[in-house]
Amino acid sequence: MTRILPKNKLDDCIAAWQKAGYSVLAPVQRHDMSSFDEVQKASDMALDLILTERTIKDHFFPQTEPLIKYKISKHDIDSETMTPPDKKRIFFGVRPCDASGLAIDDPLFGWDYKDDYWFRRRNNSVIVTIACAEADDFCMCTSVKLSPDSTKGADVMLRPLASGNGWQIEAVSERGTALLDTVSPLLQESSDQAAPVPQVAEKFDVEKVMEWLADPANFESQFWKDISMRCIGCGSCTFLCPTCHCFDIQDEGDTYQGIRRKNWDSCSFALFTMHTSGHNPRNAQSTRWRQRIMHKFNYYQGKFGVNSCSGCGRCTRQCPVDMGITETLQAITNLPR
Amino acid sequence: MIYTPFPMRVVSKRAEAPGVNTLKLEFVRQEDHEFFKANYQTGMFGLYGIYGEGESTFCVASPETRKDYIECTFRQSGRVTSTLANADAGDIVTFRGPYGNRFPIEQFEGKNLLFIAGGIALPPTRSVIWSCLDQREKYKDVTIVYGARTVADLVYKHELEEWKQRDDVNLVLTVDPGGETPDWTDHVGFVPTVLEQAAPSPENTIAVLCGPPIMIKFTLIALEKLGFTAENVYTTLENRMKCGVGKCGRCNVGSVYICKEGPVFTAAEVQAMPQADL
Amino acid sequence: MGIQEQYRSEAAALLSSGEVKLVIGFGPGSTADRRRPLFARTPEEAEKLVLDPACISNLTTYLVAGGLLSDGKKVAIFLKPDGIRSLNILVSECQVKPEQVVIFGYAIENNEIRPLSGRSIGDFAEIGSKIRTATPPPAVQKEAERLEAMSPAERFEFWKEQFSKCIKCYACRQACPMCYCRRCIVDVNQPQWVSTSSHTLGNFEWNLVRAFHLAGRCAACGACDRACPVNIPLRLINYRMGKEVKEAFDYHAGESSDQKPVLASFSQDDPETFIL
Repeated sequence: MTRILPKNKLDDCIAAWQKAGYSVLAPVQRHDMSSFDEVQKASDMALDLILTERTIKDHFFPQTEPLIKYKISKHDIDSETMTPPDKKRIFFGVRPCDASGLAIDDPLFGWDYKDDYWFRRRNNSVIVTIACAEADDFCMCTSVKLSPDSTKGADVMLRPLASGNGWQIEAVSERGTALLDTVSPLLQESSDQAAPVPQVAEKFDVEKVMEWLADPANFESQFWKDISMRCIGCGSCTFLCPTCHCFDIQDEGDTYQGIRRKNWDSCSFALFTMHTSGHNPRNAQSTRWRQRIMHKFNYYQGKFGVNSCSGCGRCTRQCPVDMGITETLQAITNLPR
Repeated sequence: MIYTPFPMRVVSKRAEAPGVNTLKLEFVRQEDHEFFKANYQTGMFGLYGIYGEGESTFCVASPETRKDYIECTFRQSGRVTSTLANADAGDIVTFRGPYGNRFPIEQFEGKNLLFIAGGIALPPTRSVIWSCLDQREKYKDVTIVYGARTVADLVYKHELEEWKQRDDVNLVLTVDPGGETPDWTDHVGFVPTVLEQAAPSPENTIAVLCGPPIMIKFTLIALEKLGFTAENVYTTLENRMKCGVGKCGRCNVGSVYICKEGPVFTAAEVQAMPQADL
Repeated sequence: MGIQEQYRSEAAALLSSGEVKLVIGFGPGSTADRRRPLFARTPEEAEKLVLDPACISNLTTYLVAGGLLSDGKKVAIFLKPDGIRSLNILVSECQVKPEQVVIFGYAIENNEIRPLSGRSIGDFAEIGSKIRTATPPPAVQKEAERLEAMSPAERFEFWKEQFSKCIKCYACRQACPMCYCRRCIVDVNQPQWVSTSSHTLGNFEWNLVRAFHLAGRCAACGACDRACPVNIPLRLINYRMGKEVKEAFDYHAGESSDQKPVLASFSQDDPETFIL
């Protein structure tokens, strides 16, 4: 017997959480795009999607974040530090790859200097993951040693029932346990079986890849030029990535007042590393693509002991020129040793 | 919060060279000053800013032995530095830091010091120079080799004069060929060449080298010829930065985050980095 | 011999004779229904070229990227009519010298490939002349009509919702062959003309600036629309701007390679209805 959340109790569940002061965010399909957004009822949710086009990262590290509000007058400047809204949130129906993405980014935002903007949002959020029932050609979680039912980054884990009538439900963190306590009357004990987890084939050998990347001799390999020749430097892959975290800080406003903001930026952009002098350490698209791969599968691993990729496959799925991490890592796997 | 800077009041501004200015900044709030005093060590950098324009990264040019104020020297080139250059005494600017690592000057004690700088890279070197000169008794011979493109481009001219007058400092000044004025009595030639001619002994000597990449490259060759080992040569790297605290993802050279693990490195450490990423 | 094989062997011959330094075409993609740009530098690589109805991207973007043609050498490229139209615009804007480009033309009709005869841009005058009478794809037409039937307030609401999705990745710009500026106006910061943040104002600024910059220059290839990771229907904006230009100046972008860029040329007959 396991605890289950019957599908027909989901509306009551949302209502109970809302009553407890939470906003509930779930996958939705709005204005020709799928993303996580606030929902009021189960029918607002698009839970059948394999994966939303946008990641939940957007709600922890938004594309533009106000940092400081300032007002300038002659010989005086008023400034006020802005903080993210302190609203309790539940993310319902997160895919394991997106939940893992949050866990992967935690050490980056936390090492030494703690990024409060990230952690305030992390601390007021509960992640309810739903194991995948389906995968597509681009999914690659197993290649990065995760799985379609990984609990990494999750507080509550749901597994779809084979009958389609609900989910097996299990708290996998203290925060998750506390959340389930708020809806325990709605949960039932049942012997219903969970649907099988989809098979996601391993597309590359990540160990072999990491070994190749770690060899300094390969840093200036012709490989990088060849593999990235068609990259147009659009940066979609970085903006849709659940783990990419690069940003810019910009002041915006008029002469007398404005806001200093933290905005998404991308290693794919030529201006990203350009010095004022005009010197650019990464002055070709191939060096920028190399940076992206090295950062994810070598540097990040060295600093935080984990690769900065959760295998969602959005980079390839969305790429206008059909590139992506999978192709590059496959090619590295198959290089003659 | 993490990205909130300290407000700083401009005490004075000094024109150093064409397009180069030094701002002397004092703390507006006591607690910020206490924080700075407790944390600043020579070699560290900060993000200097003006609300409405943004922030720009450069070193703290004042030494760790003088923490009542912050001096910064910068060339006017982009949006932020152009506005900073227009700041006047009394204006409020911002400072975020001090960030990064430092020159381990206590390890330099009892040794000869050789400072080599080119152009606008004297400021980071100057921070170490004064940190050592202010406790002169701890170090042996001090040699400063400084060169700029032209006489006008030499920064801290009043301090160069001071160092020249001191008998416990050996100052070697040079300008690039064609950059001399009729009354110029010091060297004419590129820093690596002049350094080789000055031929300081590598024996028990630490070299601190700052300059544009091309100067660093050839000066390292000259130092090697003189018998310096890469472990005894220190330098400071500057890359484009936005956060200064290891998050924004742009200053790394290979796996090394300049803002966190640097900006101070030995030449040996720099040589171990992927050169194509520098 | 099928058209794919014919083009492959011609491409291989051009490469082995040294007439072109590079062939830009299509290769197999990561899934059965995807094709990706392929750069063949040797006759062997030309053997991997694929040409089928899945080859829909407009490859002219690569002609103006990274100084590809700056060495004066020739390049061969696979183009369908919208690509040829783009090339006409690029030539008319002096971005590409026509003698540097060898064209492998093709059209996709009823899910089949039909070769277009000719190898240099001048050979495709017929394609250009058809633009005058061409109708947009039914889906675009239908959506455009729906938008035009809206009140200005409704239309504004529609675009506000669409632009609210924009994440300022500038994928539309990167994918567009007409966005060849060395430094885009959004990347200029002294002064900062366009906000870098993707909030409502910043998103409107960017998308409108781009729409204006493409007025009378868009080949309607749909590259921006396909590249947009958040599915903003950009082709509807460009369609509308094209229509405005057509109605005001009887101008069809990319009709021929010697037409004068409409907003960069002056004629005494230009309507002056906009002067109050």
